[in-house]
Amino acid sequence: MKFYYFHLMPYVMDHDEPSSWVTLSNRHYDPALGHTLYHQYLDQLEYAETLGWDGICVNEHHQNCYGTMPSPNVMAAMLVRRTSRAKIAILGNGLPLRDNPLRIAEEIAMLDVVSGGRVVSGFVRGIGPEYFSLAINPTHSRERFYEAAELILRAWTEDGPFPFDGRFYRYPFVNPWPRPLQRPHPPVWCPSQGSTETVEWAAKRRFPYLMVFTPIKRIAQIYAEYREACERHGYTASPYQLTVNLPIVVAENDAKAREIARATALWVYHVGLRMSPPFYQPPGYVTEPSLRRLLANRPKLPTELTFEDLEEGGYIICGSPATVRDKLRVFADELRAGIVCSGMNGGSHEKTLEMMELFAREVMPHFREDAHVDETAGVGR
Amino acid sequence: MAPTLREIDVRGTPVRLHTDGDGPPLLFLHGAGAGGRWLGFQEALARRFTLRCPVHPGHGGAPAADWIDEVADLAFLYLDLLDTLGLDRVHLVGASLGGWIAAEMAVMASSRLDSLVLIDPVGIKVEGWIYPFLFGMELPQVVTTIFHRPEAALALAPADQSLDTLVELYRQNAALARVAWNPYLYNPRLRRRLGRITAPTLLVWGEHDRLAPLACAEAWRAEIPGARLVTFARSGHVPHLEEPQAVAGAVSDFCRRVGRAA
Repeated sequence: MKFYYFHLMPYVMDHDEPSSWVTLSNRHYDPALGHTLYHQYLDQLEYAETLGWDGICVNEHHQNCYGTMPSPNVMAAMLVRRTSRAKIAILGNGLPLRDNPLRIAEEIAMLDVVSGGRVVSGFVRGIGPEYFSLAINPTHSRERFYEAAELILRAWTEDGPFPFDGRFYRYPFVNPWPRPLQRPHPPVWCPSQGSTETVEWAAKRRFPYLMVFTPIKRIAQIYAEYREACERHGYTASPYQLTVNLPIVVAENDAKAREIARATALWVYHVGLRMSPPFYQPPGYVTEPSLRRLLANRPKLPTELTFEDLEEGGYIICGSPATVRDKLRVFADELRAGIVCSGMNGGSHEKTLEMMELFAREVMPHFREDAHVDETAGVGR
Repeated sequence: MAPTLREIDVRGTPVRLHTDGDGPPLLFLHGAGAGGRWLGFQEALARRFTLRCPVHPGHGGAPAADWIDEVADLAFLYLDLLDTLGLDRVHLVGASLGGWIAAEMAVMASSRLDSLVLIDPVGIKVEGWIYPFLFGMELPQVVTTIFHRPEAALALAPADQSLDTLVELYRQNAALARVAWNPYLYNPRLRRRLGRITAPTLLVWGEHDRLAPLACAEAWRAEIPGARLVTFARSGHVPHLEEPQAVAGAVSDFCRRVGRAA
């Protein structure tokens, strides 16, 4: 199994406002504290490589306290020169959120060349509130996503210059310098929320699929659909096309781990993901079939989840090293996923580093039967 | 009398059309949230006109039309509807989003209009005013932004909370967002074009409109040659829903009096 260290770079704070997204005033953001936090978070990502993680992950979110990485490529740029071995997974760039996605092709290519071919390029649509924050028409989201993805992939793989004439993006000369180092292009991953259309789109292209912060039952269902779609397209999905993505809390015993998780993991759901109802599903962001599926089996809102829901529903893994090993094994077996993508929060920077050390020492070595395998070979392209 | 409901093929796009009444032809274009409804305002107009009310594609349970990308597309659709129906000229009345569509039609084909009535239209940029962003609001806030008398909003309440109804509401919201998300509720090109309107024009405005306040009415009046403004003291953004009889009376009288073909 491969391990990726995933960071949200949250601005952890308490507040009574109805939404942590879009409307939570940035007067709450203290740049001096932000300076400290950014450095701690980057230290954690760099330390993950030292401790043996296979990859480190950044991601894009806008105008909220949940994750303070409006530009994941900027963060990746800081990491490429401070690391030498780990994959750097950008999970991902919000393609429809850009008015000029050729810039993404350029930026990822730069990172890939500088990093010596260590970049994993996630393509995402961005979640609902981002369409409010960046004023992008959500009814165009899906079409812009497909069109931008096509543009970027062609820009990476075809000799330029060539013209591109889409509905949203038009260029007389597509000819980005540099070209990416990885051939034919950096692996593309699709973090998504499980819409039928995206599952199909990713499976067809062998793009790994991952769901973030979702109960294990739903992940299992979507991953089954993904595997089925892969078969329909004439191949069997590699385990490295499916990722378990969830927070892990490990401590010397179960009780201690629970105590930490109650204090740290709940914040993500109760505060970090708190948003006004209109922001969840902006008009036209989901297709009607996906909306029907969602409404027919409506999941609890993040703010409605109790700690027991998180633990029992498989939103998080928490416990002693032995417990975490057992749970991880169950997860891996149930989902047949080859990559675990998770962040940790011990409650402070120092405690987080200790937790990472404990995990690297007591958990990771038990899952290393595939240490010699390159998880990006043959997938994502 | 209940109106008749037909589905008309307008150059390949199905359009649901309610028709009722007798008299000179009048086309009424509804606002967002009122598609497919037949309310007191329409009943009153149908007593003096042959009233036709199309449902905007995607609204009121009607199927969406994926080629509709901007409000001008809806204006072309309804000019095509007039052709399909064989109507050379009509009185044209539009409320809110419907007023925006009507104004786009008027700058394209003013000669087709016997008269033009715009009820609290959106659609132009007014200096010093930014339309409140309804898409980000929860329902109670939407109601207080649109209605001066919230009880009038009950007429637009959905029939139930079934899956089908929720999907239809989502589709309706998406149809509005498609044409109005950004720029929000206006076409930057429209205001300059309003001077082309030659049809006699009446602006109807709720004095307590919090979406497009009276300052917007002044901007419209300044741009449309000869436009008259009448305001309603007990209404917000939707006077035709809040004071339906009085507004219908004012609209009827205006169309009868100034209508070129009446």
